[in-house]
Amino acid sequence: MIVTRSWLNEFIDLSDVSNEKLYETFNSIGLEVDSIKTIEIPQKVVIGKILSCEKHPDADKLNVCQIDVGSGTRQIVCGAANVVNAEYVAVATIGAVLPGDFEIKHAKLRGVESEGMVCSATELGLPPLGEGIMILDESIGELVVGKEFGEYEKIADTIIEIELTANRGDCLSIYGIARDLSVALEKDIKPFDYKQEERMKLGIAREAEIHTSGEMEADLRYKLASIEEMQSSFIVALRLALVDIQTEGLLSSMLSYAIHATGVILRAYDSECFRNEEGKIVVRPTAIRKGIIEVRGDKSSYGIVGVNQLKETIANDDTKQVLFEASYINPERLVDAVYQSDMNKDELYYKTSRGSSPDLSFGLVYLACLMDKNTQINCYEGSLDVHVQREKNILRVNVHEINDIIGQEIEINRIVSILKHLGFDINAIGDHVITAAVPMFRHDIVNIQDIAEEIVRIVGINHIKAKPLAFVEKNRLNDTTNRYKYKKTLKNRAVGVGFFENVSYVFSEKSVLERYGFITVEESLELTNPIVEELNTLRSTILVNLLAAVKRNVSYTKKLIPLFEIGAVFDAQRQQKEVISFVFTGYTGSENVSNSGKPKLIDFAAFIQKIGSVVGAFELVPCTFHNGLLHPYQSADILVDGKVCGFVSKLHPTVQQSYGIPDTFVAEVDLDALLPKHTNARAISRYQGVYKDLSIVIDQNISYYEVAKALGTLDLPMLKDSYPVDIYVDEKLGDKKSLTIRFFIQSMEKTLEEGDIETVMSEILETLKVACKAELR
Amino acid sequence: MENLQEKILQADSLEALEKVRVELFGKKGLLAVEFAKLKDVPGPEKKAFAEGLNETKAKLQAAFDERYEALKANEIESMLKSEAIDVSLYSTLAAKGALHPVMETMDKIIDYFVALNFAVESGPMVEDDFHNFEALNLPKSHPARDMQDTFYFNDGSLLRTHTSPVQIRTMMTTKPPIRMIAPGTVFRRDYDLTHTPMFHQVEGLVVEEKGKVSFANLKAILTDFLQYMFGNVDVRFRPSFFPFTEPSAEVDISCIFCAGNGCRVCSGTGWLEVLGCGIVDPNVFKAVGYEEVSGYAFGLGVERFAMLMHKIPDLRSLFEGDIRLLEQFR
Repeated sequence: MIVTRSWLNEFIDLSDVSNEKLYETFNSIGLEVDSIKTIEIPQKVVIGKILSCEKHPDADKLNVCQIDVGSGTRQIVCGAANVVNAEYVAVATIGAVLPGDFEIKHAKLRGVESEGMVCSATELGLPPLGEGIMILDESIGELVVGKEFGEYEKIADTIIEIELTANRGDCLSIYGIARDLSVALEKDIKPFDYKQEERMKLGIAREAEIHTSGEMEADLRYKLASIEEMQSSFIVALRLALVDIQTEGLLSSMLSYAIHATGVILRAYDSECFRNEEGKIVVRPTAIRKGIIEVRGDKSSYGIVGVNQLKETIANDDTKQVLFEASYINPERLVDAVYQSDMNKDELYYKTSRGSSPDLSFGLVYLACLMDKNTQINCYEGSLDVHVQREKNILRVNVHEINDIIGQEIEINRIVSILKHLGFDINAIGDHVITAAVPMFRHDIVNIQDIAEEIVRIVGINHIKAKPLAFVEKNRLNDTTNRYKYKKTLKNRAVGVGFFENVSYVFSEKSVLERYGFITVEESLELTNPIVEELNTLRSTILVNLLAAVKRNVSYTKKLIPLFEIGAVFDAQRQQKEVISFVFTGYTGSENVSNSGKPKLIDFAAFIQKIGSVVGAFELVPCTFHNGLLHPYQSADILVDGKVCGFVSKLHPTVQQSYGIPDTFVAEVDLDALLPKHTNARAISRYQGVYKDLSIVIDQNISYYEVAKALGTLDLPMLKDSYPVDIYVDEKLGDKKSLTIRFFIQSMEKTLEEGDIETVMSEILETLKVACKAELR
Repeated sequence: MENLQEKILQADSLEALEKVRVELFGKKGLLAVEFAKLKDVPGPEKKAFAEGLNETKAKLQAAFDERYEALKANEIESMLKSEAIDVSLYSTLAAKGALHPVMETMDKIIDYFVALNFAVESGPMVEDDFHNFEALNLPKSHPARDMQDTFYFNDGSLLRTHTSPVQIRTMMTTKPPIRMIAPGTVFRRDYDLTHTPMFHQVEGLVVEEKGKVSFANLKAILTDFLQYMFGNVDVRFRPSFFPFTEPSAEVDISCIFCAGNGCRVCSGTGWLEVLGCGIVDPNVFKAVGYEEVSGYAFGLGVERFAMLMHKIPDLRSLFEGDIRLLEQFR
């Protein structure tokens, strides 16, 4: 919503209110100022009166004008075609400096002296106002030849753009904003008095009648007028341009101007549309559904109140007889009804859906007053009316309750005064209870908290003293809080081993997920309105997003790219879960003097060590996961507490190639599996233990996992630990491999003897012989 | 005698000194030879001779010890010297990664509210119309739905457009009093220089018995919170409108780029809008079946906080995993 200072001034006296005060007041009452700008007209641009205008002897398109500029008559050559119709114009005299540092000097145009320039709107920094120069009229004030153009308050205006919140339909007009301002500034609204001269004393009833059908929910008022000669008004054109409203034709601009000024929805019909066979104008407002009132003639339907108007019925500048319509309909009723049906909405619907002004006569009178100044208009006496009796919303307001909501004592007198100024009808019931009848233009006010809001914004939040809330302490460390804390721990560990935290969109590209064999969300649960193709589904893995980030970093010439992300992924049923994903590309460490600038590339062991430092202990078993990112011979399931909860792999070489990135490892683990568990301490032996190595020969295709499983079946209290330390293959071994396992043996009760150790070792060997067909090397 | 002392002092290494030691103090050394002469010295002179000899020996020994210490110290020093490195070569080895600035900002926000006895709550990203709109006083036809462009699914579900549905879920499963924040990922169908289809919010809600929670309380906590986040800034509350709170306000801080004097970032106003808040609308309580309660709620965009706090110029760069950006936050 854009307003101008001089336009507001029509309704409220702002002569002693500075722009700073205005800006501050708007913000403090909840009318957020988006921008505020004052038009600065250069000096030495004055009102000139064209005394004569003749064709330039040597140039078709130029005119030579004699113009009175107050201090004398100047000869000025003008190139604008419309200068021939002009009487009063804005003249930049010698010495004036126009925007763009353009100084006006003596000039000779095709041999003719020119002492100044007749200005167009844009040449003075005003918005464009059509072709040619500005033709001024008295709508900006009395035209005094020689007066500085910038001294007219309606020209050197201040333009204020207000970002209105959705509930404030009442402020979608200059008048509405002036009314809110009047409460905050404690100033009265200027009375608007205009007595329309009804030249033609014909009553409307002779020409037109109205017949409603169904339950009328809209207020309607029709005025009939014949229009003879329409003239433009400079101020109408200027202000509409300043508040960024485009119109077509003079009648349309008058209507838009009156709507913007008063907030009343006004339309103009060509009365011929409504004329029936008997020659009478018949308007038939017809309720077709709750909230939907059609405006019909005898022949057809011409529009819906508050929503649209059939194009062919719109009166234009050539229309001889115009039927003006002012309407009001409750926005909530209307919006509900419109939402349920699909109908064309014109630009006025924005206002009606948020609440237009119900003061129909004000809108029509304002329009009549405006047109009277510029047009030969003859109005028929009287109007056709539909008026709906609406019950006023009356709220019972307990002042203590208001003060509880605000947290500060506001006196009842102050509250009453504010509400009265805002248009409420107030009745006192007791010492601290009042009833407040809500004005119709404030349909947004329905309960006591709405009233409190009005008080808060007029009193000003700055005047409310901050007061800490006293509350009862409680243990609020719930599961979500603890989970959040654990995630933070995981993140800090990841950062500690060099990973950077990534945040990517929870979206992915369906075709990419499918290409790599990941689950995708079922079609019936899929996104209906994705924003772009690349983000057209919910992701089922973070890895694809991480690889895209790796690719970008490679293009930024990064050689060491460790990224992780904790985030949501979705399965085919669109169930959400959280995973932690890692990707590591390129070097294991920085390039430096200790590796002569050639760090090792990341490999399986180094990657496992890094992610192990983050997620804690896990087991790796041959991979059961299947997706296109995995390297079939360098991938593993990750087991925590014996349960598969993720995978780790070298990136498949073809994927690596298609992304154009160096050696890369990836891993993804369910976060739920990593949540910390309770631990009970085991007893620690006081006796010395021994390490023993055992080298066995087994089939090459037996993984250590099988060996470890076999060892897991042993019931040997003295066997405390075992792990592989060497693997060896050569031709002599054929399709076998040699595996060395290190065992740690220790007793809880005594110092080990040679015999104890031998017993343990031989039982291990026997077991491995049976389970893995192992032989001693 | 002086000759001998000179010899000790001239030894320039531990090896040379060892040779001198053997020459002087060895079994067949000069001193041993001199002491051997003692038996030939006549009786009355014997004592004086012996005393003189012992004195010489003590002096020589002292000289030797001193020289030995000096040479030993030299040797350690030269050994250390041989191990010298240019430590400044290695400063680039510090290889810590970094948390994402948005997540770190979110952590800082959460820390504040957890310290004030707020619980952290969460909810699903895929929501239904009831929790995301209806219960928050946003019926289907409400004009305020214009403000939010929503991602919908084929089955009518939607991606939550704010973290407010977590309030609804928490209230529907918990009895008052409530003190909670809901940090989380939210979605709007908007993608340009200053909008991403996904971003993060932190939402706060306090519910107590009727008449207890006031706008003045909201002013107290949010002023303190913003000064905790941004340091010594002025905080301004402006009345505004949200369907789920009434009275509502938007909260500004004095511009941290120009100290409130007006610059490009604050569009010359001297203020930066950072928060929305208000007293919970009775319709919201009605939707979750609460009676005789009062409460406040607030919500903020984490990306905006992070960008302001760290002067990050480009919103979209936050979602690209760009290490050139991330490594600055090591």
